[in-house]
Amino acid sequence: MIYEGKKKIWADYQKEIPEDHYFYVRSCIRQSFFPASEATFLDITRNKLGKDIFETEHHTTCGGIAYHSDTIPQETVMTIIARQFALMKKYGYENYVCSCITSFGLYCETLETWREYPELQQKIAENLWKSCKLEFAKPKFLVHASDLIFKYRMQIASKSKFKLVNKNTGEPLRVVEHIGCHYSKMFPSKGVGGAEYPYVLVGMVEAWGGQIIDYPERRHCCGFGFRQYLIKGNRGYSVSNTHKKFESMEPFKPDMIITNCPGCPYFLDRWQYVIAETQGKTYGENGHGIPVFTYEEVAGLVMGYDPWDLGLQTHQVSVEPLLDKIGIPYDPAKKYLGRNGKYLGEPQKPHCLK
Amino acid sequence: MGKLYDRLMQDYRLKEGLNACINCGTCTAICPAAEFYRYDPRRIVDIVQHQDDSQIEELLKSDTIWYCGECLSCVTRCPRNNKAGLIIMALRSLSIQTGFFMESEKGRQMYLLCKDLNSNILNYGYCVYPRTFKYDGHMEAGLVWEWVEKNMDDVYDRLGANLDKEGPGAVRKIPQKDLDELKRIYDVTGATEMLENVKRAGLEKARELGLTEEEYCQKLYSECSPKHFNH
Amino acid sequence: MKKNILIIGGGPAGMEAAANLDRLGYNVILIEKDKQLGGHLAKWDRLFPDGVSAKKTLDALTAELSGVKCFTETNIQSINVLDKSYNAILSNGITVLADAVLMASGFDLFKAEKKEEYGYGIYDGVMTNADLEKAFREKTLPSKAPKAIGFVHCVGSRDEKAGNPACSKVCCATAVKQACEIKEVYPDADVYCFYMDLRMFGRHYEDLYLKAQKEYGIRFIRGRVSEVAETMDNRLLVKAEDTLSSKPLKVTLDMLVLMAGMRPSEAGRSVGRQLNLTTEDDGFFSSSDNMLAIQKSKLPGFFYAGACTGAKTLPDTLHEARSAALEIDRYVKDNFKEQ
Repeated sequence: MIYEGKKKIWADYQKEIPEDHYFYVRSCIRQSFFPASEATFLDITRNKLGKDIFETEHHTTCGGIAYHSDTIPQETVMTIIARQFALMKKYGYENYVCSCITSFGLYCETLETWREYPELQQKIAENLWKSCKLEFAKPKFLVHASDLIFKYRMQIASKSKFKLVNKNTGEPLRVVEHIGCHYSKMFPSKGVGGAEYPYVLVGMVEAWGGQIIDYPERRHCCGFGFRQYLIKGNRGYSVSNTHKKFESMEPFKPDMIITNCPGCPYFLDRWQYVIAETQGKTYGENGHGIPVFTYEEVAGLVMGYDPWDLGLQTHQVSVEPLLDKIGIPYDPAKKYLGRNGKYLGEPQKPHCLK
Repeated sequence: MGKLYDRLMQDYRLKEGLNACINCGTCTAICPAAEFYRYDPRRIVDIVQHQDDSQIEELLKSDTIWYCGECLSCVTRCPRNNKAGLIIMALRSLSIQTGFFMESEKGRQMYLLCKDLNSNILNYGYCVYPRTFKYDGHMEAGLVWEWVEKNMDDVYDRLGANLDKEGPGAVRKIPQKDLDELKRIYDVTGATEMLENVKRAGLEKARELGLTEEEYCQKLYSECSPKHFNH
Repeated sequence: MKKNILIIGGGPAGMEAAANLDRLGYNVILIEKDKQLGGHLAKWDRLFPDGVSAKKTLDALTAELSGVKCFTETNIQSINVLDKSYNAILSNGITVLADAVLMASGFDLFKAEKKEEYGYGIYDGVMTNADLEKAFREKTLPSKAPKAIGFVHCVGSRDEKAGNPACSKVCCATAVKQACEIKEVYPDADVYCFYMDLRMFGRHYEDLYLKAQKEYGIRFIRGRVSEVAETMDNRLLVKAEDTLSSKPLKVTLDMLVLMAGMRPSEAGRSVGRQLNLTTEDDGFFSSSDNMLAIQKSKLPGFFYAGACTGAKTLPDTLHEARSAALEIDRYVKDNFKEQ
């Protein structure tokens, strides 16, 4: 591996990311499975870094999962997207940041299709007026929330309490980065670092002290596949693709995985549990799995947030061995408590996965 | 040039997605579906570019077009700027419009997908909504999800979400006025009509099989013939 | 007084044209940007289809240049059209007043690192066709025998995304030649060629293909390589589709050779821009007529030879150089009769 070669490619993909003033749009999957990640994103950007990140309760799903499961027409999803953009304009913003990668890819695709086919854009604008009485608008800058954390990575590093370093050996943690397929595979220039060697997560990990691992199936999809997961009978597709990735990364002995797509951490985490329970195979040390994180969780950890405030208790792969490795303190007794110390019982323990 | 091909060409995804295929196989080489299913996206693009309606009709009736996971990894690699994933999306839409989707096992899954996803969107404003994502149907979501489900309000509250409550925040209650706008978008853009057609076809099939709607949904959710697999 | 002919580019086209114009009685000034004459030929080891030595071929071309003024490590600093001639200021300070100019700027090899998914400059075992020729010539191939070696055809050719939809013409034959040669060095290695169409169009080329299959056991896979990655033990995982069996294919290799295609020479294009010479969509210069007058530009007295008007084999290039010399001779005789 020649690191300099990657640096040359990264230099070719400089994405313009405005410093401040964003209209924030949530992700169906991230808010459902990683609600604390979105809370952490807003807390870091607004309260720790003093940025203006605006959210309105009136925005909705972009319809992306329904669209990529082929259950709504292209015109429908485009009009929903136009509604989101119109809300941005209505609240006085021109920079749009979304939490979801499926949304991000779909926004890129939609903007590109509108650019190429102005008559379609016209039709969508009419649809929007007919259905919502909103004025058509397009964002000046479109970024994914991981682009913003990438942008702020050095400020985050300067406020960090922990580094992605093994406290016993002093060695950088070995980190696998997993990029959502819809981040830049369709439009390499829209992603930080392009499509083949995206830099968005690498930059964070390097800024926070870790070391990135490049393994053969790095670029492969986590296996969501929309309908290939949503229908139980199709889930073999989903787990077999996750399985392929883990078999490929296993020899590199990663300490952790960082992701930027909301779905991927769910699948990479949960399918490890299924593989362990059905085949007895685990990929981490001593019968543990490899813990999988959102980038917000990793940013939160290095900044010293309480792991249970970050929602790490809702992962199926236990995170404690990694917290111990870094030296992040946590109180096991508080893991499953609700607000104000209310005890909520504990999840059952898996048979195989520790 | 055939009539089905003409209809396909009205789809912007086909206009954007089909340049001219050189049959090099870079799409299939990295396709997550190609290793798992009996599936070759290159062949699909080639069939479409031949513009032969009888072959296109066969595709629309087949399981083949439903194997793709829409990851769009194929888009990055094509040396001719084709977008196999988008072509497949256009084929799926046409399969639904023509009713051919009912002729394959994977195509018939549309009934359940349409029902689940769009009831989430129209009732809650989200594609995925925690209260309708059941551990029972998603055991792989883990024992931790079983625990979340049991303690849903407390867990989301603990994690800074705003579950089913007013104002902004994660999994908040989206105001009815906004949900009404989504419904009007569905009406204006053809989604409502499409969903009704899929529903009608599915219920007819259930009747034909002598199944209640619930039994039919259960069948759609779980069934999987071994004929789909590559190995 | 002898007429001055300026030749831009000291590769095979420029050299062969220079020798012929010299023999026809002209005062020939040949400039070359590199240290030595020969262009890509000087960097090659052996030539398809028969494995002729590149050095011997270059020596034969060089031997004819005794009457030619050759300036190496020299560029055109500026060039402009006068009434009936061209005024060129060279980077070595010399000014040339030329009655005719021959552009023989040839091609640049496609920068293989632009096909990011192949990992050239990132993964250790990935090299180009030119790197392999250099290793053959300098005998610097690794002594530890690789177990498996792959050749990727069409790298930066027939690729709209890479900015070059055209076929580079020589890569198929080069790949098959190099595959046989590497098999001679490492007889136990498995050798694969990943191709889209095998364009073995020239005399003896098909024989080379036959030999590769029958004598060397080269495996030909009809599928373009989609991506390359590095394994734990520094090997290369290569993904393609075997399109003849409609199956995705993964092969683990130790060495991967990218057949970088032909792009218009940047140095040639910068001269072209000074004279407003037109290029076609592929970036190569446009001739006044692609059928009848491929050596003529649209400017009187300005001619082309070789790969500056599109990918060519070495024999094609040499033919064009000779015919360009004849065109130039005719032009000078027609236009400068009074002197």
